Amino acid sequence: MQYESQKVAYPYFALALLLLVLQVLMGLWLAINYFVTLPQSLVNVFPFSTARAMHTNLLVLWLLLGFMGGTYYLLPDETKSEIYSQKLAYLLLVIFALTGVVALVGFLFGWNQGKPLLEIPIELDIVVVVGVLLFLFNVGMTMIKAKNWTAIQATLLGGLVFLAVLYLFGIPFYQNLTIDWYYWWWVIHLWVEGAWELVTAAIFAWILMKITGVEREVVEKWLYVEIGLFLFTGIAGTGHHYYWLGAPRYWLWIGGIFSALEPLPILLMVIDTMKHVKHRKLEIKNRIVWIYAVGGAFFHLLGAGLWGFAHTLPQINYYTHGSQVTVSHGHLAFFGAYAMLNLMVFYYAMPKLRGVEEHAEGRGKFGFWTMISAMFCLGLAFGVAGVLQAYLERVLGFGYMSAQEQMRLWFAIAFVCGLGFLVGVLVTVYDLFFPKPATHGAPAR
Amino acid sequence: MAFTKKGAKWIFWVGTLSSLILFLVLTVDTHRQVKVLTHAENLSEQVVQGKRVWQKYNCNDCHTILGFGGYYAPDMTKVYKRIGKEGIRETVKKPQVVFANSWRKMPQQNLKDKEVEDLIAFFKWVNEINTNDWPPQDSDKLPPSSIRRMVAGVGVSPGGALFKEKGCFGCHKIGGTGGDAGPAMEGVGKKYDAAKLAQYIRDPASVDPKSKMPKQMDLTPDQAQQIAQFLMGLK
Repeated sequence: MQYESQKVAYPYFALALLLLVLQVLMGLWLAINYFVTLPQSLVNVFPFSTARAMHTNLLVLWLLLGFMGGTYYLLPDETKSEIYSQKLAYLLLVIFALTGVVALVGFLFGWNQGKPLLEIPIELDIVVVVGVLLFLFNVGMTMIKAKNWTAIQATLLGGLVFLAVLYLFGIPFYQNLTIDWYYWWWVIHLWVEGAWELVTAAIFAWILMKITGVEREVVEKWLYVEIGLFLFTGIAGTGHHYYWLGAPRYWLWIGGIFSALEPLPILLMVIDTMKHVKHRKLEIKNRIVWIYAVGGAFFHLLGAGLWGFAHTLPQINYYTHGSQVTVSHGHLAFFGAYAMLNLMVFYYAMPKLRGVEEHAEGRGKFGFWTMISAMFCLGLAFGVAGVLQAYLERVLGFGYMSAQEQMRLWFAIAFVCGLGFLVGVLVTVYDLFFPKPATHGAPAR
Repeated sequence: MAFTKKGAKWIFWVGTLSSLILFLVLTVDTHRQVKVLTHAENLSEQVVQGKRVWQKYNCNDCHTILGFGGYYAPDMTKVYKRIGKEGIRETVKKPQVVFANSWRKMPQQNLKDKEVEDLIAFFKWVNEINTNDWPPQDSDKLPPSSIRRMVAGVGVSPGGALFKEKGCFGCHKIGGTGGDAGPAMEGVGKKYDAAKLAQYIRDPASVDPKSKMPKQMDLTPDQAQQIAQFLMGLK
């Protein structure tokens, strides 16, 4: 760590990890809701909907805190200057943390605008928007003052601005339900298949450059192609959410064709990662960062690319839309594309911020493999439940609950996978908070 | 290397802008067409209030609507068609009664009467949205799912349907269900062949003089044949 201000990233990472643990605990509770009969009195005060709002908002919050922390960590190194205002960075963390706490407690009391994933009421939306504007100001000023422009900085800033602008479309009350969902996807889809891909592609490119020593020229060239393809397929690919919501039929063609191409940029990212790793100029230090880089790229391809592709064509989506197949895809994709990326950044930065240049890899590896396998099983369990649902409910015409009865066992299996995942998360979080210095020299091979 | 950073930048701008322009143009056109596809002229004040009720109680984090939202409870797109005004009213007002025997519950949220009526108006409007015939289970092209299920069952075994319809269960058990006056039907196919069995059903004494079973001459020989076929399968 060369720059003093990189340390503002640490509390962002720390809070993000705590929220991750909470998110997983809430997920386990949701799984219980799916296969256990809860008493009416409990359902009345703490329904599934409230717990789901918490689970998903915790996800968004910890991922965004991770991105912000990652940005603050990368920025001084990229711009060769300190962060414009460290005080502002700390202040914003406090604001975001308080907003999160108020939002979660508010959900318990029904303070909620009733839009999935964007549940926080307009008062909190305003706080978030102001906070994000100040964050962008801090990032932008750092870059402008430093005048060391790079493609990585431009992609990162572009992605963050895009992210902030899109959030605005989720705030208004829309009278027409179809229009409401049309713009809801501008936030959700264009975040995960647009803005977030830009932010994470920039962070990923930077880390790859750092750990492999491959020239900036090469890394940035691939970065351009990747984000170009991400946006080309991703923007018009939003159409795959417009098949059945009351929009014109041409979205079946636009959505089908563009989203069928969506795995391409991810595939390119995997190939380019492997290429950089193969042609590395530096010896391998801290293998766990490598494992996350390569593992993350593959899981990204699996969860977002293949699982998404599997039910993106209208002919298939007609039967799987709004079923547990979507749940399966959602879990694998968010984990593969974004959770893994954040954890890679945390593994790269947190030990260094604690003064540990090389850390022992045992616990980290255990955490990684436990999480990876548990999440894969979780995706399969939801996937089997989803295929059952599509066939029983949508093809055979079973009633909703009759179909759910047949899926019940798979929800119990999902719960067990979730327990395994929790173990992996706890070990990983512990290892990140208390990194053990490596006892022997570089474990390079 | 032939492929340069300049070429890469070119790919980025062309890819991004072409997709963005296409998307924005179609967005403008979609706004125009959505008015027709959703019958925007029926979007009354009450429907809009109903949407506010839908959001106020966070219904969407358990139920999907248009397939979006929580997957914990049934999709609400066609709920008006599926269970009607009365069904919706009953369910929302007394979930603890409606789902008393269900292993998954719905919360009692104590909606005011007006809120319930607004919600019904909202569902009625949503029911009319042209969703390209989604969801399949509520598709207009198919008979209602309850009819489909029955037809499927009868199609697999017309004899089974007759067995039930003609009241044979009153005296005979299958799989532990039914009366005790006559023997259980499992294994009856080992005792007689199908033709003998069909004859037995209509006129028991003609096959087994000691049989206590009454004649079933209201069955046509064809029907008796179908029931016999069904029973032969129970070996």
